[in-house]
Amino acid sequence: MNSPSPTTPNPQPYFMLDTPATDFDFSTASETATAVASGRTSAVRVVEATLARIRERDPVLNSFTAMTEHRALLRAEAVDATRARGEPLGPLAGVPFAVKNLFDVTGLPTLAGSKINREMPPATRDAALIERLETAGAILVGALNMGEYAYDFTGENIHDGASRNPHDHDRMTGGSSGGSGAAVGGGLVPLALGSDTNGSIRVPSSLCGIFGLKPTYGRLTRARTFPFAASLDHLGPFARTARDLALAYDAMQGFDADDPACARHPIEPVAPLLEQGADGLRVAVAAGYFKCNSGETCYAIDRVSAALGANRDIEIPEAERARSAAFIITASEGASLHLNRLRTRARDFDPAVRDRLLAGAMTPASLVVKAQKFRRWYRDEVLKLFTDVDAILAPATPCTAPLIGQQTFMFGDTELPVRANLGLYTQPISFVGLPVVAVPVPLVPLPIGVQIIAAPWREDVALRLAHALETKGVVAAMRPAI
Amino acid sequence: MKRKPIRETKPHKPVPLDSLVAASAQALGLTLDPSWQAGVKFNLQLILRHAALVDEFPLPDDAEPAAVFHA
Repeated sequence: MNSPSPTTPNPQPYFMLDTPATDFDFSTASETATAVASGRTSAVRVVEATLARIRERDPVLNSFTAMTEHRALLRAEAVDATRARGEPLGPLAGVPFAVKNLFDVTGLPTLAGSKINREMPPATRDAALIERLETAGAILVGALNMGEYAYDFTGENIHDGASRNPHDHDRMTGGSSGGSGAAVGGGLVPLALGSDTNGSIRVPSSLCGIFGLKPTYGRLTRARTFPFAASLDHLGPFARTARDLALAYDAMQGFDADDPACARHPIEPVAPLLEQGADGLRVAVAAGYFKCNSGETCYAIDRVSAALGANRDIEIPEAERARSAAFIITASEGASLHLNRLRTRARDFDPAVRDRLLAGAMTPASLVVKAQKFRRWYRDEVLKLFTDVDAILAPATPCTAPLIGQQTFMFGDTELPVRANLGLYTQPISFVGLPVVAVPVPLVPLPIGVQIIAAPWREDVALRLAHALETKGVVAAMRPAI
Repeated sequence: MKRKPIRETKPHKPVPLDSLVAASAQALGLTLDPSWQAGVKFNLQLILRHAALVDEFPLPDDAEPAAVFHA
């Protein structure tokens, strides 16, 4: 697995643990919550600094499509009042967060990155995950840019403009949760939510150099969010540490009858388990289809696998075919969702999205059903692997962030279209709903991510490994140099 | 282990899709601007290439679809 790296590794993580907090710029959610709980700062102060930072920096990053300033300040005052009364605070007290704009936010139309949805009436209730984070004390500060209707791996948006990579503003964030990647990677907020149908949390996490969690399918409720491909849609958090992912994930777990796919699974807090580290966990590296194919991806996989003692390869059977099946199902389910809008409002779509959806509508049903049948076969085969291993490592993206507008990239000796292929390593995994943590390997000039893939319902395994790698200094969300 | 080729990147014999696109659009009540034809055909061809890869995989008659995955 040894491979040369064309880039310079820079594994020194940046933390502010010993730095007196002034505006909590680039502080983690955990640090902020601790500071608010201790009275070292107030939630109002944190939120005011956050809003100022967004106003100052977002004209460049283009990650926000709406700010919820008034609501955020009211919520912050409520958190501070709770503390003043001596009542207990939630684990995310005073932590600012933002959500991909497919989450319902009371008072805002749920854009889902589209022009058409701007005409929708404002939402009358928050998405369930927003409610759960705010119950834990977090404070919503706005809604984030995304690829139209989430059918995107680039972070580009014809209506709102491209979200910009915090490490190089001329480059893509990845998508479709591009604003989430830019806002967290750029230090605007320590925590964001996004969706992942085929890789839309893991791809921007990789390109923006941050941590992202795509939980098991059915683990987190999708109630009151705008869908894309129902049998593949997941929601999850972005953060700059594994601990922050765990804190947010723990706050969002639990059955919800408002999402038909949400499983009746017990709440299993992970944050208390993080310090167990990697001891006793069997880790392998995905081979075959997932074999790294660039200097950056090989370097990242080599570093992570060495740190975890993952010295064996494992073949995920028929992964290429699984990706194809995911491709077909996505096109078909997405087209079904938008069929009436394609009939009546086709000119108001992003042309790149419209053409894909129209083609999806024309896909013969017999082929889609065959893909769903293959999916069950593949799921059974993949689950067998977890009798021998606890986690599998694979690249998150085939390359570091392409330039905005770039149409193709080199994959080995082959030139591939960017839009359809940035998720080629992520699609075969979400296809059967496995939990994955994308961890950032800090390379210069651009970071790249590695997927830590676990068995269903074993988010704890992936998050423990992510935390262990962070502790060893192998992975880290770096403060952008620009 | 040697990486398997990504099949969609191989040269493919173009499939004539004009009639399928036209008939599907009519059946579904979709109106296509002529300037969209090339993009729609490109994407449909890509989907059908992926579908061919899935279709060639042998499955038993009693294979159950996994329309919604329960882990």
